[in-house]
Amino acid sequence: MSGKEFFVNRYRKLGWTYKQVKLKQAIRINTMNAGRDEVVSRLQSLGVALEKIPFLEDDYWICKSNFSVGATAEYLLGLYSIQEAAAQIPATLFAELEDKTVLDSCASPGGKTVQLADIMNNSGVIVALELKKRKMFALANQLERCRVTNTAVYQMDAREASKLKMKFDCVLLDVPCSGNYVTDKDWFNKRSLEDVERNARRQRQILAEAVKVTKDDGELVYATCSLEPEENELNIDWAIANLNVKVEEINCHGEGGLTNVFGRELDRSIEKCRRIWPGQTQGFFVCKLRRQA
Amino acid sequence: MRMKEIKDFVAQFNARIPWDESLIVRNRNRYYLLSKKLKQQVPKGFFYAGAYLGAVKGASFFPSFLLLTMIAETKANKLVVDKKTAWLFICGRDIFKRGILKGDNLKKGDYTLILNEHNECLGFGKITCNLRGETDANKVAVKNILDIGDFLRREKRKPKQQKSSHKLQGGNRESCKPVRK
Repeated sequence: MSGKEFFVNRYRKLGWTYKQVKLKQAIRINTMNAGRDEVVSRLQSLGVALEKIPFLEDDYWICKSNFSVGATAEYLLGLYSIQEAAAQIPATLFAELEDKTVLDSCASPGGKTVQLADIMNNSGVIVALELKKRKMFALANQLERCRVTNTAVYQMDAREASKLKMKFDCVLLDVPCSGNYVTDKDWFNKRSLEDVERNARRQRQILAEAVKVTKDDGELVYATCSLEPEENELNIDWAIANLNVKVEEINCHGEGGLTNVFGRELDRSIEKCRRIWPGQTQGFFVCKLRRQA
Repeated sequence: MRMKEIKDFVAQFNARIPWDESLIVRNRNRYYLLSKKLKQQVPKGFFYAGAYLGAVKGASFFPSFLLLTMIAETKANKLVVDKKTAWLFICGRDIFKRGILKGDNLKKGDYTLILNEHNECLGFGKITCNLRGETDANKVAVKNILDIGDFLRREKRKPKQQKSSHKLQGGNRESCKPVRK
C-alpha cells in the first residue's frame, strides 16, 4: 500500500484534491534580538522583496532575493530565522509562555525552540530534547546564533522524558512524522502505509510520555507535517480515549480536523484541531490539548 | 583556577564583566552561564544550556559569539567598520585601515571586537599596526580571528576539524564564499 496513486486516492476520500504546490521560503523575525520594522527595512535595503504572511505576526514570505537569505549578516546575527510558514504556527498556540517551564520534546533543528524562546523573551526555562547527537550540534548552533539563553538541551528520547523528573507547564510535541510530498519530491516513492503506521505508533508513545510530564491543567501542542490521518486525527482520538486530555479550541490558519476518517467516526472535539492541506504552505496538522486535573 | 580562561580572554579586550560565578557551569570543556531558573530547575547531564560562553581545548580558549556580544556591551576595545568592510570581515577577510569608521586609539598587538554600523558584534581580530599613526589606508589594520560567518563554515566543516581560537589567528579557517554582491 504505497505509491502516488494510493496516497492521492486517500486524500480524495478525505475530501481534498491533490495539487502540485510550490513552497515559498518564509522567515520569522526574532523580536527578542531586533525590531520587526528594522529587520524588514534592512532586508529590503539588500534587495529582498518580502510579503507579510497574513495569518502570522512577525513573519514574511521571501518573494524575491538574488542571494540566499541564510547567508546575510542579519541572519548570522540571529535577527531572523528561516522557518516554513505552517511550522511557525504551533509555538504561537500556547496561552501564556513567559516565565513558564516548557518542554520541546523533539527539538532539532531548533527552529521552534528559538521561536519559543523568542515568545518567552528568554524568560523561564525550555528543556529541549533530541535523540541524535549529530542533530544536537545543529540545534546548539541555532541557539547560539539566535542568542537563546533560557534553554537546556539533552540527548534523550522523548519517550523517556520522565527521566528528567521535571513537570512542565507547556509541552510542544513537534513529533517525528512521515512528512509530506511538498517538502520531499520523492515522497510518494519512499513512503508506504506501513511507514505511516509505524510513525503513528511512535507518536502515541511520545504523546503518552508527554502527558505524564505535564502539570495538571498544563497545555500540550501536538504538530506534524504529515497529511496522513493515522498520524493526526486518529492519534488525537486515541489520546482522548486513553490519556487524561481534552482538545482545546485554537484560532489559527487551517481547516477543522476530520471527524470522519474513511468511515470511522471520531470524537467530535477533534474538529477543534487544524488540518492544513498544501497550498499557501506545506501540509500540516496541529492540535492543542489540555491535561485534565 | 575556575573561569580563568574566560577572565583572561575578556581581559584581552581591556574589558571586565561582573560575573555571578555561581551561575557559571563547566560541562566537560565548555562553559555556560545559566539563569537562576535554569540553575535551579534543570538536572545535570545537559548537552548545552543557558548562554554558551566558549570552550577550552588544550591551551586555547574558543569564545562563543554570545560571549563576544557580552564583551561588546562593556567598555572594551572596539572598532566600528563600514558596510562593505563588515561584509568582507564576515567572509573571513582582514580589515583595511580605510574601512574603519570609529576607534583609532588601538595599538599594534591589541585585540579588538569588530562592530558594524548598527553596533552589532561581528567577531574579533588583532590589530596589526598602530591605528592612530598609520597613514596608509590600504594597509591591513586588523587580522581577522573569528567572525560570525563561522556559523556557516561550521556546517561545512567535518566534525573533527577545529574552529578558530584566538591563538590560531584564523590560520585554519576555510574561506567563506560571499553569496551577496
